[in-house]
Amino acid sequence: MTPVQQFLRQQTRRTFFKRSGLAAGRIALASLMFPGLFRSSAQARSTTPYPALPGLPHFAPKARRLIYLFMNGAPSQIDLWDYKPGLADRFDSDMPESIRNGQRLTTMTSGQKRFPIAPSIYKFAPHGNCGTMVSELLPHTAEIVDDLAVVRTVHTEAINHDPASTYILTGNQVPGKPSIGAWLSYGLGSDAENLPAFVVMTPRWSAKRDAQALYQRLWGSGFLPSRYQGVALRATGDPVLYINNPDGVDAQVRRTMLDGLSALNQQTFEQSGDPEIQTRIAQYEMAFRMQTSIPELTNIANESKAVLDLYGPEVTQSGTFAASALLARRLVERGTRVVQILHREWDHHGDLPRDLPLQCRDIDHACKGLILDLKQRGLLDDTLVVWGGEFGRTVYCQGELRRDNYGRDHHPRCYTMWMAGAGIKPGTVYGETDDFSYNIVRDPVHIRDLNATILQLMGIDHRRLSYNFQGLDQRLTGTEEANPVKGILA
Amino acid sequence: MLHLPIGLILLLAILETLSFWPRFKKVNANAGLILTITVPAAALTALLGWMLSQSGGYEKELLDLHFRTGMVTAIACFLGGIFFAFGLRKLYRVALAVSVLALTVASHLGGSLTHGSTYLTQYAPQPFRNWLGGSAPAAPAAEGSLTDWKAAPAFQVAAKPMLDKYCIGCHGPEKKKASLRLDTFDALHKGGESGPAFVAGNAAQSLLIKRLHLPSAQDEHMPPDGKPQPTADDIALLEWWINSGADSGKTVAALQPAANIEKLLGARFAKAKPAAPQAAPQPIEAVLPIAEKLSSELNIAIRPLSEHEAWLQCNAGIAGAAFGDEQLARLAPLQSNLRWLDLAGTKVTDAGLAQVAGMVNLERLHLERTGVTDAGLADLQSLAQLEYLNLYGTSVGDDGLEHLKSLPGLRKVFLWQTSVTPAAAKAFVEARTDKDQIRAWEQEIEALAARIRNQKMQVDLGIPVTNAPAASAPVGAAMNTTCPVSGKPIDAEKTVSYEGKVIAFCCDDCKAKFQADPKPWLAKLGLAAPKR
Repeated sequence: MTPVQQFLRQQTRRTFFKRSGLAAGRIALASLMFPGLFRSSAQARSTTPYPALPGLPHFAPKARRLIYLFMNGAPSQIDLWDYKPGLADRFDSDMPESIRNGQRLTTMTSGQKRFPIAPSIYKFAPHGNCGTMVSELLPHTAEIVDDLAVVRTVHTEAINHDPASTYILTGNQVPGKPSIGAWLSYGLGSDAENLPAFVVMTPRWSAKRDAQALYQRLWGSGFLPSRYQGVALRATGDPVLYINNPDGVDAQVRRTMLDGLSALNQQTFEQSGDPEIQTRIAQYEMAFRMQTSIPELTNIANESKAVLDLYGPEVTQSGTFAASALLARRLVERGTRVVQILHREWDHHGDLPRDLPLQCRDIDHACKGLILDLKQRGLLDDTLVVWGGEFGRTVYCQGELRRDNYGRDHHPRCYTMWMAGAGIKPGTVYGETDDFSYNIVRDPVHIRDLNATILQLMGIDHRRLSYNFQGLDQRLTGTEEANPVKGILA
Repeated sequence: MLHLPIGLILLLAILETLSFWPRFKKVNANAGLILTITVPAAALTALLGWMLSQSGGYEKELLDLHFRTGMVTAIACFLGGIFFAFGLRKLYRVALAVSVLALTVASHLGGSLTHGSTYLTQYAPQPFRNWLGGSAPAAPAAEGSLTDWKAAPAFQVAAKPMLDKYCIGCHGPEKKKASLRLDTFDALHKGGESGPAFVAGNAAQSLLIKRLHLPSAQDEHMPPDGKPQPTADDIALLEWWINSGADSGKTVAALQPAANIEKLLGARFAKAKPAAPQAAPQPIEAVLPIAEKLSSELNIAIRPLSEHEAWLQCNAGIAGAAFGDEQLARLAPLQSNLRWLDLAGTKVTDAGLAQVAGMVNLERLHLERTGVTDAGLADLQSLAQLEYLNLYGTSVGDDGLEHLKSLPGLRKVFLWQTSVTPAAAKAFVEARTDKDQIRAWEQEIEALAARIRNQKMQVDLGIPVTNAPAASAPVGAAMNTTCPVSGKPIDAEKTVSYEGKVIAFCCDDCKAKFQADPKPWLAKLGLAAPKR
């Protein structure tokens, strides 16, 4: 028996009256308590495929859109952002037990006999007017530190990639929760009528190694209606598969076919009341619109050379991080609410000096280009840019430690992320770690706090954006306390 | 108290009516029990009502009518009880009917007495009120609406608002408790049972002020305990008005208020006036349907900017070239509500900016990649709230910047890919920077820093005394009275510090001997030889 048939069978007279009676009561009560309710439901009927929830934004937002640069695999904060000059003298000395202080280790190093300290071999220097210390691996990003708020004290509980990525991007280590992009497009809707509210890109990477897998749930909609899930553009070839009409089918035929299909789907919806059918209708409609909007989006012929140069030489090669960054700008210009770029292979357990520079070269130039391009267009004033991974890396070496080669294991207690743009206090460094970049000394920022901050900048009170599921008012920040980080807000 | 018998009488009537139907025949079985509560309650209510009326302050005509109908209710109720007790069922029904009728009239009159004659319609929706023939409630004079409070009569500015807010509910045209009305100057002057409300020039002796200052537990304290109380500032203003002669017509300026009073009044009236002219937005309920209609017709997105404000954000940029001046003109009904307007990449031209000029509450305006020119920017001068203006990719040049110089709120202008020259941009920033103001603020900061420094308390305990004074500067009295070398009396000036002790000698020679080798002399001083 299909779920639909099952549903219909359950529609006995008794269940119908029970449901509709309760519903009528609830509607009456709700309209008494919230006089604006029916006004808002009228609002929800508007033609936009992504209407906002009534009552949102909760307050005037700083940012209208979000570009999230996710470095999947966990970049080493010690080699990029968290400058620890004192470690140079401690090469190959054992990390004090008092520093580790009971931290759970992954099975990759828990069997290790000793934990020798591996100082970063990369030089750091102060940059910009703010003087933030940046590694030589990020020479371009170093040029824009005056626009960034660098948070050195992000922390999490998860110590493995899957739960950690799921945690930071969906608010819970257990799969099944909506991603941050889904929450934002569910709450705020999207202005774009011809493009998805939430677009995901997964560019290729240079370090030729196996990379941690990505999972669709990292941009999934969880229990929210599935139209809010991220739409992943492909890195190579057609960004969206099968979007072009097959030979012999022109736009008019396609339209007629879709109208017919939509009518049939509508009929089914009226019978079964399954909201996913509405999502399906909306998806077909969106796909039809994307037949013209996606080619227009990806055609960068009109971008001037000066603009392309901002993003670096790889911008014209499709599927690179630079090309994705340029598309991200073009997407937010066209009204897309959330763009997420997930760049893989930052998981450097060994041979870090071989792989990390390649990874940095992939993203460094384009990060600068994205910020500068948004800035000159005046878009950085209402766009929030977030950069970071799912956790940090250990100060001690995994495997063999040599003067010029080392590896680092996963480290959840502190790592570095940066934010820039709307509502962010530029040129800031927030938080402080100990001499080993192992524990937080001052101003911890849990990933829940980080997500609460993102929501706040987008005009949402993280405590009030919720969805009732499994008997709980589910939220991106979960049930534990979370506070927006005031110290990085302008 | 009075609502209990009303409910009971109505209940009896309902039960009695229901019992006409065979199905509910037995429904009034408990009427006897209810009656034994109702009759005493009705009597008590009438008695209490009569006592309250003796306190005075009610409109005579209304009160009389209420009294009579109330008595009829109580008596009918009483008779009904007697008839019921004797089993005279028909008479009981008649008495009950009379009681209900009288009750209806009495209750309405009672309501009018306590809550004012318009209490039924006052808060009803306007259409109802029109239909019922009631008049709209007079809107209280908004404090902010007084543009020039200094030129207004002091009574109107300092006394009347407070009296209107806290007093005239009981001491006004409809209810004049203790024969006192406080709604006009003359009424105040006349006063009530206890005499005039004020003594001109002497607030402390004025009854009005005395009553305000009594402890709230006392019965004479006004407004009575439990009613909204005026603030200390309200009372201060009232006292000032009385102390300065309690004149009905003299303006604030003529009375030359002290600085603190001027500040209070200034905060109430002047501040309410916005720094920049601003048309109040329309209620969000009124504009949302229009916004939705326009959104779907023009393929743009107009949404509320936040939950509790009436502001709208409009993104017309998503419509691109399909959106032009003609479409922009259709946004006119929303013009006072638009806070953010994004016209990026549309076909809007200077002609459209004339329309934008009416959107006086705009805070962010995106005009990048449109057809606007220098001339059109002249229309933006009305946008006093504008903070963000994006003009990149337009043909705007140096002349256009001139028009923006007068915008008070402007903080960010984006001019990439325009013909604005760096020199003009620099001049623009300088013209827009109020150097005097910044210098004044810097001085203020410096003054505050000085105050912080002055707050710092210094308590000096000097250098802590250690157990080992420096060898070169022995401190304190010598431990010996005779010279350990010669045996002669000591000279207090000739001392040496040794192992934390001060040792005195008779002359410099003996001191030198000791310093060269202290060992031989230590025993005489009762000191042990140092362990080496």
